Amino acid sequence: MEEFSINKRDKDNITILNLNGFLDAHTSVELEKCFEEILSENKYRIIVNFDKLSYISSAGLGVFMAFIETARENSGDIKLCGMSDKIYNIFDMLGFPILFEIYKEENSAIEKFS
Amino acid sequence: MSSSNKILFASSTKNLSLLRKFIEVKASDFGFDESTINQIILSVDEACTNIIKHAHKYNEKEIIEVEIQQETGQFKIIMKYKGKGFDPNDIHNPDMKDYFNKFKVGGLGVPIMKKFMNKIEYVHNNSEDNYLTLIKSLHS
Repeated sequence: MEEFSINKRDKDNITILNLNGFLDAHTSVELEKCFEEILSENKYRIIVNFDKLSYISSAGLGVFMAFIETARENSGDIKLCGMSDKIYNIFDMLGFPILFEIYKEENSAIEKFS
Repeated sequence: MSSSNKILFASSTKNLSLLRKFIEVKASDFGFDESTINQIILSVDEACTNIIKHAHKYNEKEIIEVEIQQETGQFKIIMKYKGKGFDPNDIHNPDMKDYFNKFKVGGLGVPIMKKFMNKIEYVHNNSEDNYLTLIKSLHS
């Protein structure tokens, strides 16, 4: 299995990221760069789809914390979707649903932007 | 995968996936269920990430040694490393409401370890070696 990759696409003025593989202290650097690139293009409406992500550590969680404020300050958001129970449990255990909108389906996250 | 209960690897985040595979095999052999195996893997990843980042400052010339000790009903992961050590027991869990209000980043590795493991021990000996031990009981 590929270590980590990001598929980026735009739909309805929203940038959607599909994460594949595992997101740890090594691979989170790539996601960080990806967010920097998106925000530098003044795109602040972002959905992250986790359905092909098999693992996340706190380094991965930190990436979302690092960019959510900028996205919201610019009338955007980072919405999360498609998590397996294993991944969701990590987010939930640390209380991330307080700050982040997390949806089962990508379409639900898209609808919330409209 | 090696049948040895010990691995040594260069202190680099690129070796975390190798470490996780090692822990997965050992924890599975010990008899933990899948959910607990995932918790142990994540806890060890967080511990070693902290060592790589804080004790070794990403210096890949440093070495981390991870040894598994299996006792009756107890699974111990012992991480031996040089450099500036730290005792996770000295670190208080952050107030998560404050954490989210202030959009903080980092500092979640220790809370994860504390949540998922039964016990954490830290020893610093005279030869400058640090020993960080994570302990998980089979029936907890």
